[in-house]
Amino acid sequence: MGNANDLSNVFLHLKKARLMKNTLKVERAILNLTQDELAQKIGVSRQTINSIEASRYVPSTVLALKLSAIFNKSVNEFFILDEND
Amino acid sequence: MNLNSIKEHDRKSAQRLLNFRLPTYFKKIGWIAFFALLTTLILTKFIDGDLELLKDILRRFMLAALFVIVLAKENIEDERIQAFRAQAFSFAFLAGVLYTLFQPLINWIAFKIVKPEKAAFQDLGDFQILWVMLMIYLMFFYILKKQD
Repeated sequence: MGNANDLSNVFLHLKKARLMKNTLKVERAILNLTQDELAQKIGVSRQTINSIEASRYVPSTVLALKLSAIFNKSVNEFFILDEND
Repeated sequence: MNLNSIKEHDRKSAQRLLNFRLPTYFKKIGWIAFFALLTTLILTKFIDGDLELLKDILRRFMLAALFVIVLAKENIEDERIQAFRAQAFSFAFLAGVLYTLFQPLINWIAFKIVKPEKAAFQDLGDFQILWVMLMIYLMFFYILKKQD
């Protein structure tokens, strides 16, 4: 069990090392949408929205463009590259 | 049919194969079948007689049940889940190769230390390799899903 957790932390570290920041939570709050509502609008699970907001998962271009259409903003207004990207 | 249309046809066929998933309820069916087969396999240990053929069939069906679980869709099969699947498949492949390469060596060293007279370099069976790969896949897939 300990090994599985150690391994899981290694994956988390590897993923975090290359993930960019975003302001999805703010954009969602502006539209007064819950994670579940936003997820349903773009056809993903609530956990996916949660992971994107927490910078644990970088969405595909298709998903980013769907978000862009919902927020009515260009993708680079709510996804920000940092110096490690 | 020109070369480009052949390439396009091949690409689409490969994509269809890669995207193939069984409906979500197959996951439940797979787990029920797996545990039923495992229980039967354990029970055969307590029965006398030559049951090697039965054991072999049970093992094959256990692998098939695990494969059904691997192929079954999640409730919401979105791109994040597909990314986890890809990662889990990669880990399972690497684990399978490493296990196949090094496990016979580890067995040989262990026998050399404990029972030197029985030390022999033996290849692994297909059941062992597939078992490790399917188990590693399922383990990593659930870890990745859970940690998120």
